[in-house]
Amino acid sequence: MNFFDSNTKIFKIPLLVDSVSAGFPSPADDYTEENIDLNEHLISNPFSTFFLRVKGDSMINAGIKDKDLIIVDKSLTARPGNIIIAMIDGEFTIKRLSIKNNELYLKAENHNYPDFRFKNHIDVQIWGVVIYSIHSYL
Amino acid sequence: MKISSIDAIALIDANNFYASCEQTINPQLRNKPVVILSNNDGCIIARSPEARALKIKMGTPYFKVKERLNKLDVAVLSSNYSLYGDMSRRLMNLLKNYCEQIEIYSIDEAFISISRSNDKNLYPWARNLRSLIYQNLGIPITVGIGENKVRAKIANKLAKNIDYSAGIFDLANTRNENNYLKKINVDEIWGVGKQTSNWLQSKGIKNARELRDMEENEIIKKLGIVGKRLQLELKGHKCLPIEESKKSKKEIQVSRSFGTPVTKLEDLTQALATHAIKASEKMRSLNLQSSDIRVFARTSRYSSQSYQRSAHRKLTNATDDTNSILKIVVELSKEIFNPEYKFSKAGVLMQDLTNSEYLQQSVINYKSQKELKKSANLMRTIDSLNRRFNKNAITWAITKNPKSWMMNKNFLSHSSTTDIKQIPTIVK
Repeated sequence: MNFFDSNTKIFKIPLLVDSVSAGFPSPADDYTEENIDLNEHLISNPFSTFFLRVKGDSMINAGIKDKDLIIVDKSLTARPGNIIIAMIDGEFTIKRLSIKNNELYLKAENHNYPDFRFKNHIDVQIWGVVIYSIHSYL
Repeated sequence: MKISSIDAIALIDANNFYASCEQTINPQLRNKPVVILSNNDGCIIARSPEARALKIKMGTPYFKVKERLNKLDVAVLSSNYSLYGDMSRRLMNLLKNYCEQIEIYSIDEAFISISRSNDKNLYPWARNLRSLIYQNLGIPITVGIGENKVRAKIANKLAKNIDYSAGIFDLANTRNENNYLKKINVDEIWGVGKQTSNWLQSKGIKNARELRDMEENEIIKKLGIVGKRLQLELKGHKCLPIEESKKSKKEIQVSRSFGTPVTKLEDLTQALATHAIKASEKMRSLNLQSSDIRVFARTSRYSSQSYQRSAHRKLTNATDDTNSILKIVVELSKEIFNPEYKFSKAGVLMQDLTNSEYLQQSVINYKSQKELKKSANLMRTIDSLNRRFNKNAITWAITKNPKSWMMNKNFLSHSSTTDIKQIPTIVK
């Protein structure tokens, strides 16, 4: 089995194609670039990046809406202010990692939802840091 | 005895890989006993540490422990190879960044070569690697370090078995080497098979230390150069290199057990055709063509009437064309079918593989160049459509409506990392 298959291009460098042609050269040739690949622009650590789907409106004030696709990088260390995915008592949850009175807590971006304080829960683990959310307008 | 070389080899092994993959992607499985079943939901092939603690054994047939697992509230899952394959690819690529050379040894194991800096202490590096892989993937790994592959394998075993090791052991940097080698039985040494192990034990050689110190001539007489190399590696010499690229494949096999036994020719043909399509696709992805196509079918190993048949066809010209291969496979399936038996497994083998780029130069072919080009284009189009949309966006009519012979996968988790329709949902 080949694990390093063709879709593991890590550091792809945008290409300016320089070509030699016999006829009249196209004036656009020097500007030819590859298509924009969102993977390249949105994902810097492909091997630790995962996709998740949001359900509900607990993060609405942060611009994350129901059904949005979110991109999570597990390699990043969460810092206060980051939106993160945490595992709390056996469930995935999305919250903003916040700090108040020297205490870290997880804040919902919707007044209707309570904050999570770490000390009230036995089993909390930060799973990854949200780097993008993608919302469909259709 | 210490080797002066500054290089070291580490064997990286993901712990309880299949169960760890499921636990990292599904928070409900964290810290819970989890078992993974083999193809067809037959036997237990992986256990989370929590399931191990409950003394659930590897290889136990599921039906025998079904009730007990239920009572113990153990999560039972079918094997999800699209998830494990993707996590493996991620793991291996991450490891690549932390070593000089890598040899992927299996889905969850890799040998890597690293250089030992002046202070000789690789524990900080290994601790860092472990926490990095855990943070990136949520998968725990064990790091065994030695001067060579055989000793790295032993070190990995020690790292797993010694309580205070924290998943890391460096056999090239320890004061009590003899004590540690004594803990490894000869049958646990990499490269020692059952027969060799029996012979060694008959000679009174029980563990790695005794094998290392055994009379060299006696080993050579019985095991030849292979045995000598093994002993040299045990002593700390480097004999087996890291093989970064695997030699080209000798054959491609696609075979599966049936969900329920197959007794009709129609079902056998359909199953073999499905496997043949997969095998041809695989050949094309590896730029290979086959000139010897084999199919086989057999009854269950446990059935009273055991029966096994295979048939093959040699071709004048190698091919990777699904249409041509399907024609042959359909014919061959008639040859091996026997209505008196209940078949439990069948498969296809593509043998005599050659590189297709090289082959296209050949002028002599029973098909015209134009025809060949046309079929190659068609296959390329189908492959790219299936890659872009989903595995079976375009397939052959013969595989439509697969029925009873399909494998049982009653407890399959989602393709959480590879299919956008199946990614996990976060509620609230």
